[in-house]
Amino acid sequence: MDSNKKYWKGLEELHQTPAFVEKKGSEFTENIPIENVLNEAGLSTKTPRRDFLKALGFGVGAVTLAACQRTPIHKSVPYIIKPEEVTPGVANYYASSYKGQSLVIKTREGRPIFVEANTKALFAGNGVSPSTQASVLDLYDMSKLKGPRSGDEGISWEEVDKQVIAALNSASNSGKQIRIVSSTINSPSALAAINEFTVKYPTAKLVVVDAVSYTGMIKANELSFGKAVIPQYRFDNADVIVSVGADFLSTWLDGIENTKQYMANRSHTSLKNGKMSRHIQFESGLSLTGTNADVRVTVKPSEEGPLLIALYNELTGSALPNALSENQKAATAIKLVAKELNQVRGKAILVAGSNDANIQSLVNAINVHLGSYGSTIDLDNASNQYKGDDQAFAEFLREANSGLIDVAFFAESNPIYEYYDSKSVEDALSKIKFKVSFADRENETASFANIIAPNSNYLESWGDSEAYAGYYTLVQPTINPVFDSRQFEQSFLIWAGNTTSYHDYVKAYWEQNILPQGKNWYDALQEGFEFKGSRGGSAQSFTSSVSDLANQIGTQSKAIAKDIELQLYLSGGVGDGKQGNNAYLLELPDPVSKVTWDNYAAIEPKYAESLGIGENDLVEVKAENGYSIILPVLIQPGQAAGTISVALGFGRTKAGKAGNDVGKNAYPFVRLVNGSLQFNNSVTISKAAGTYVLAQTQTHQTIEGRNIIRETTFANYKTNPAHGSGNTGEKHKTYDLWNKYEQPGHSWVMAIDLNACTGCGACIVACSVENNVPVVGRDEVRRRREMHWIRIDRYYSFENDNNEAVTREGEVNRLSDLSQVTVVHQPMLCQHCDHAPCETVCPVLATVHSSEGLNHMAYNRCFGTRYCANNCPYKVRRFNWFNYWNDSRFDNYLNNEFTQLVLNPDVTSRSRGVMEKCSMCIQRIQAGKLKAKAEKRPIKDGDIQVACAAACPSNAIIFGDRNDPDSAVSQALKNERVYYVLEELNVQPGVGYMTKVRNTFEA
Amino acid sequence: MRNISLIFRRVAKSVTLVAILSMATLFVQAQDIKEGESLFKADCSACHGVDRAVIGPALKGVTERHDEAWLISWIHNSQALIASGDEAAIKLFEDHNKLMMPAFPTLTEDNIRNILAYVDDASKPAPAAAGGAEGAAGQQAGASGDVSNFMFGGLIVVLIIAFLVILVLNRVIRTLDRIILKNRESITEGEEGEDDGGESSGKVFVDKLKKLSRNKKLVFFVVLGIVALLSTAGWNVMWNVGVHEGYQPVQPIKFSHQLHAGVNQIDCQYCHSGAATSKNASIPSLNVCMNCHNAVTASEKYNGEVSPEIQKIYNAIDWDPDTRTYGTDTKPVEWIRIHNLPDLAYFNHSQHVTVAGIECQRCHGPVETMAEVYQYSPLTMKWCIECHKETEVNSKDNAYYDQLIAAHDKLKSGEKITAAVLGGIECGKCHY
Repeated sequence: MDSNKKYWKGLEELHQTPAFVEKKGSEFTENIPIENVLNEAGLSTKTPRRDFLKALGFGVGAVTLAACQRTPIHKSVPYIIKPEEVTPGVANYYASSYKGQSLVIKTREGRPIFVEANTKALFAGNGVSPSTQASVLDLYDMSKLKGPRSGDEGISWEEVDKQVIAALNSASNSGKQIRIVSSTINSPSALAAINEFTVKYPTAKLVVVDAVSYTGMIKANELSFGKAVIPQYRFDNADVIVSVGADFLSTWLDGIENTKQYMANRSHTSLKNGKMSRHIQFESGLSLTGTNADVRVTVKPSEEGPLLIALYNELTGSALPNALSENQKAATAIKLVAKELNQVRGKAILVAGSNDANIQSLVNAINVHLGSYGSTIDLDNASNQYKGDDQAFAEFLREANSGLIDVAFFAESNPIYEYYDSKSVEDALSKIKFKVSFADRENETASFANIIAPNSNYLESWGDSEAYAGYYTLVQPTINPVFDSRQFEQSFLIWAGNTTSYHDYVKAYWEQNILPQGKNWYDALQEGFEFKGSRGGSAQSFTSSVSDLANQIGTQSKAIAKDIELQLYLSGGVGDGKQGNNAYLLELPDPVSKVTWDNYAAIEPKYAESLGIGENDLVEVKAENGYSIILPVLIQPGQAAGTISVALGFGRTKAGKAGNDVGKNAYPFVRLVNGSLQFNNSVTISKAAGTYVLAQTQTHQTIEGRNIIRETTFANYKTNPAHGSGNTGEKHKTYDLWNKYEQPGHSWVMAIDLNACTGCGACIVACSVENNVPVVGRDEVRRRREMHWIRIDRYYSFENDNNEAVTREGEVNRLSDLSQVTVVHQPMLCQHCDHAPCETVCPVLATVHSSEGLNHMAYNRCFGTRYCANNCPYKVRRFNWFNYWNDSRFDNYLNNEFTQLVLNPDVTSRSRGVMEKCSMCIQRIQAGKLKAKAEKRPIKDGDIQVACAAACPSNAIIFGDRNDPDSAVSQALKNERVYYVLEELNVQPGVGYMTKVRNTFEA
Repeated sequence: MRNISLIFRRVAKSVTLVAILSMATLFVQAQDIKEGESLFKADCSACHGVDRAVIGPALKGVTERHDEAWLISWIHNSQALIASGDEAAIKLFEDHNKLMMPAFPTLTEDNIRNILAYVDDASKPAPAAAGGAEGAAGQQAGASGDVSNFMFGGLIVVLIIAFLVILVLNRVIRTLDRIILKNRESITEGEEGEDDGGESSGKVFVDKLKKLSRNKKLVFFVVLGIVALLSTAGWNVMWNVGVHEGYQPVQPIKFSHQLHAGVNQIDCQYCHSGAATSKNASIPSLNVCMNCHNAVTASEKYNGEVSPEIQKIYNAIDWDPDTRTYGTDTKPVEWIRIHNLPDLAYFNHSQHVTVAGIECQRCHGPVETMAEVYQYSPLTMKWCIECHKETEVNSKDNAYYDQLIAAHDKLKSGEKITAAVLGGIECGKCHY
């Protein structure tokens, strides 16, 4: 039976706003001004014969002149001495790592062009995050410095070394302090190098500070268990997952590894085994993790602590003070959750996003009660990803202000932008005599430095990391440093008087400390990682006083329970703003709001109405400390009433051409309480003058209420796996207008598991990098001209107060609040229909069908009628309105010779006036086939992987050959949950979707 | 014009003939030297020069340094000689970085004597006669190379002569005109009204033309013919815009495929190694050239100097042939690309070379006969597709195709399985 639950792409569609109704019918926002030509005046205009002849003469002359251009001479310049491993035209792959994740880097003719997860790796082996995927673009950033600088002048590295060593010596001799301020360094070799440096200059000390810190958690673990670490979480061992404000599938700790573990109990393979975990999320803003939860309850930031107290009380039967009392929905939910948790002790996990040591201690207490330690939480093998200490940085500022520090280094740290109190950082910096920044560009902090010693990109560097205890990954360069940069580790070695190259240093370190017997350096380089630790951990006991915690949580909760509560969060793409000049990330739609190129104040619709604020309004958000910013409003269903959410990581002023002044900086809203940074605050908002249209991609295409999202509950799934899919097993007779295409050889198709898709957007970035998809900028996105070949549609549906699905638009308007929203993410790309409607309407046969089931697009044949886009039921075709690769209006993005080195040489970059769309990475298909042919063997399943599937951290996208009965995709498509979007049109799409299954409470 | 170059060629030929004859007489008494030369070139020249150290030492004066018997046993098996404890042999071995000289047991003692005779002969200062002959040969080479220059010069001379002739003729005509006018005046003065016979014949011709021009049918057909001619020519020109068949740019190094692939029979893929594995056949990097050219300098053709074209390789890779060392001042060679496909077309060499097993010549033409390479095929899409439609897929012993062929046989049994049948002319196979 089909569900009659209704889905909306956005509130515009739900409310049928006039602007939406006007535009929903048309593929393109702006009509061609044909009326101007065909009106009375236009038709009756006489063209005098002389004018006609003039135009004709000019035309012929111009064409002749243009044709006289000589064919350009192409030079072909071979290597002088060809490196043995390089064959021009054949890609090389190198194992490396980024932020502790083992990766495989694809290079062509010495240029790194694509990043894939190392599938053999122990951690995060499925896919990558959008920011990792886009990191390859950071290498080709024009805004980077070309060499070391002193003030505005370029200087040589010898000069840098001379000046730095002089400053260091004078500081040591006068007993002044030397500080290295850095974001988390978990590279054992780098720490060894810094250690050598501190031995040589005994007053030197490393201060670790992260923009978004986990100090509270580290402190809590120290207080509770005497271990100042972040534990490893094992979501794959959990049957019930409760998260209080932790966006663990995206930005909380290691989102990619968490996603992999989380999906182990939720994807189609797990469902086949009749197993699915339950995930309950309490949060204020609608996060990516919240959209994937089975049950989601909105709470205000100030209610997070009391909620946990209430949960503790409910679980243990104690009666701690300050328990949640006001939020009725949450209180009911807690009762259910507690019951659930008590049933699965030892197989449950509770995580919280708060950076407050008291809250995290209480979480520890609950997890001890649930028996999570040793099963779902491993405290013995720490995660080293965030070791930042907020208190240490505050201490650094105090020391600097009292004139104790003479020399300071800043590595991967930009406190002027990232620290909540940039004024105090500025004051502190002014008191430090000699400052060195390792930033690769003149960023906010680097502009205050005496010397900028640019660090190399990770793709140009040697290095290693130990992201998890005992899990070592290697970083190996895939290109020589493009500019005159030097790794900061190398600089520290030189200043410490050690002249070994950092490569030799890392190698020696590995040979002495890491490599096991019988394994040499080259084996390790090839594999990319080495695991020497163990996993599992032991059970823990909690002995601290819980009631003290409850009292302190109560006080702190009251401190922000005023006015409007502000929740600061990280967007999955832009993150903390370190990759602030990455055009791919800036144009990646936010997974939930689908906003590009901006941050905004997200407000719940009914609450916004009560404040008299509407979409596109500008509001001034003001904190008690006086900081205020003017932000556009985003009406966000699922936001807790009485709160707003603002993303960090925007509003950089010195990131580079693409990233400067994109959005507003929200870091100054962060509070430092009890030595840890709190990412919430109490603010007032007032309407500001003017309006601002956010560049959103969500309502750009409409579904006209068609039944394209299908979902069911786990309970229903267990009784009938095909429940909700409309897949009844009976096929009614169909009649074809089209000829049947035979696909005797291969038949390339895809299966997408809606239950596994988290909506993170890694596939979008991967597709853009692989297929040379241009970045078009905010204005063009507003005109609905984004070029992404794959998009992730986000659909909202609502439940009424009785937990029943809302089926009619009218009923939605009567709902008391729109915070109880459920969300489905649906990746949408060219469906490669066997009966493709686009093919029939192309007047020039530019898009035709192949014998392998693909819908080909011949760009050079297309002349831009756009009929195909109009006729495509899935709205996946994209038109090149400009020559994005050679047009000064798009200079900021990918439009210069250097940045274009990131392009994939196997894919044409399209010109103005032609259509483009997903090709199912035909270049990869062709390459895979050719490899098999050359090796004289049949193609194996998995030989060919499309870019989006390779990037997907949850394996939601399965690609392969339908004609191979054993292929993963054939198996997946046999699944009862499979349905085809708009299959009633009989376009016979090649992409099958599996129903979304939600493990809701049975009320 | 042509006559002049012909005459020149004839002269050059006769000079060469004389030169060759004199060489022949010179070599009659020294037959063994000639045999020695060919043996030397086949077996020794890879490592030895006469005047120059290559890998092994220069051989000039070798017969003075060692006696013949010793040399014969050294050449037959140098290692055995060293092993036998011969002092001279050990010294020689150690003086040259212990580089082993391969054994030549197949050379007879006479062979070796001939080689040594050649070496002696070649180390002598060149006798006058031989020098002369060489000079003539050089001149001949120069002549064939300069033919085009010569033809240009000739053309200009002819043009100047033609211009002068025209000038003179004009002069004559004008003088004649004047005379005629004068005569006519005197004639009209004498006998008025009488027709001039000579003039009337011209007039009749003009009249005839006038009459013909009034014949509308004829004019129509003539005009139609001209229009048809022009349109066909125009059509052909338009169709061939961007088609560069025969494109033969001047390359920075006068590399002759005729010599390398034709005469020396070097396999195409020895240099164009990418063709088997990559989409690019790739132009060889200079280290590939140096595999041979660190020994082959063609100096025998250039009075002991390195050939100027080979010298260009040395300059680019900064190799000093005398000290046999590489420097650091390298400059890449900028070849001019002959076969250019537009960016929108994807072409993969390995698909055609490795999988289909197509001969290079099928698309590139008789490269082994080309002194300078030119574009042999039109490289148009029509040309690609025609071949894809005709060429049967090389599926023999290739397991990749097994299932594909079986599936096809089920559908259309007996039909020839060409590339096109397997989807080789679908847009997306080359355009993406």
